[in-house]
Amino acid sequence: MFSNLYKHSGYYLVLFIIFILGFLLAYSNRSNENLQIGIIIATTFFYVLWGIIHHLINHDLHVKIVVEYILIGVLGLTIIFFLLNAI
Amino acid sequence: MKEFLLHLFIPRESNNHRSKVLHHSNLLLTIVFLFLAGFFIQSLKVSFPSVLGVKVDISAEELLLLTNKQRQGNSVVPLALNEKLTEAAVKKADDMFGYDYWAHNSPTGKTPWVFIKSSGYKYVYAGENLARGFSSAQDVVKAWMESPDHRSNMLSSNYSDVGFAIKMGRLNGEETVLIVEMLGNLSTPIVESSRIQEVATASDVKNEPLIDAPSFSLNIGIIIIFIFIFVLLLDMIIVEKKKIARFVGHNADHILYLLLILSLVGILSKGVII
Repeated sequence: MFSNLYKHSGYYLVLFIIFILGFLLAYSNRSNENLQIGIIIATTFFYVLWGIIHHLINHDLHVKIVVEYILIGVLGLTIIFFLLNAI
Repeated sequence: MKEFLLHLFIPRESNNHRSKVLHHSNLLLTIVFLFLAGFFIQSLKVSFPSVLGVKVDISAEELLLLTNKQRQGNSVVPLALNEKLTEAAVKKADDMFGYDYWAHNSPTGKTPWVFIKSSGYKYVYAGENLARGFSSAQDVVKAWMESPDHRSNMLSSNYSDVGFAIKMGRLNGEETVLIVEMLGNLSTPIVESSRIQEVATASDVKNEPLIDAPSFSLNIGIIIIFIFIFVLLLDMIIVEKKKIARFVGHNADHILYLLLILSLVGILSKGVII
């Protein structure tokens, strides 16, 4: 895991920037729930895009991998919506 | 049973060297389950609020007590509950529910001062703090104290009176608790004793369902995230150790993403102030 993170440090730096920006924007827009949801969806979209590009550059992109990133992204969003339904 | 659990969580020949939990079909199943469970909880909340609902216990007395505790700790004169400001706060809360908005100014252009003036409170200084989605007075006061603008309102020596409204209702399609705090100072001094008023009972909200829906859902969400993080980590360690080549996404990416979701869940589960 850590060797992979080190080897692909440039890619992970981009991912960290996406996540930190997404978190900070979602945090600073706590009073506007719709905008907050939009930010979370956008962050997830960029995560999936980042995953696809990362595998594409490393020449190991496969349709199964694309589906996997999309499913993990949708899973994350579903957890958020599940929580919002109860609040 | 043991075989089944190994099949679910450990990458081995039976699951094509990928934990069954992480197979596309299972990810999809979890998504569908969460989606349906969300709707089920939502409908339970509407149909049986005494069983599954939002646990709230906020009173104006407690808000006043906690606010004055903060003021005394900062060497500021305590606030007195004022009936007119309470009336203004109740009107503001009703207006927000009536016109379905969450802001200091209404969509029809009403500022907070309109409500204060219409209640007959002739102020020199006035201020408004709003909060929603909190379940206890401690959390509301804590959130206000942590925000520089709200904190300066709460600790301002320009104010001598306060009125609170705590009301439950539907805002943007969601059942929520609104807390309105109206602060003010009168232009003409009045007799001290007449400024201390009884708090309207409409300002107190206490709801104790059998199961607190937000905590219940939060726990389920957190458990699911941790299960996936654990399985992804286990899957990654075992495959790396056995040096098995697979055409799958990087588990580390998914773990990082789920950690982000976990931190976002933490933000969403808290109330908001403006």
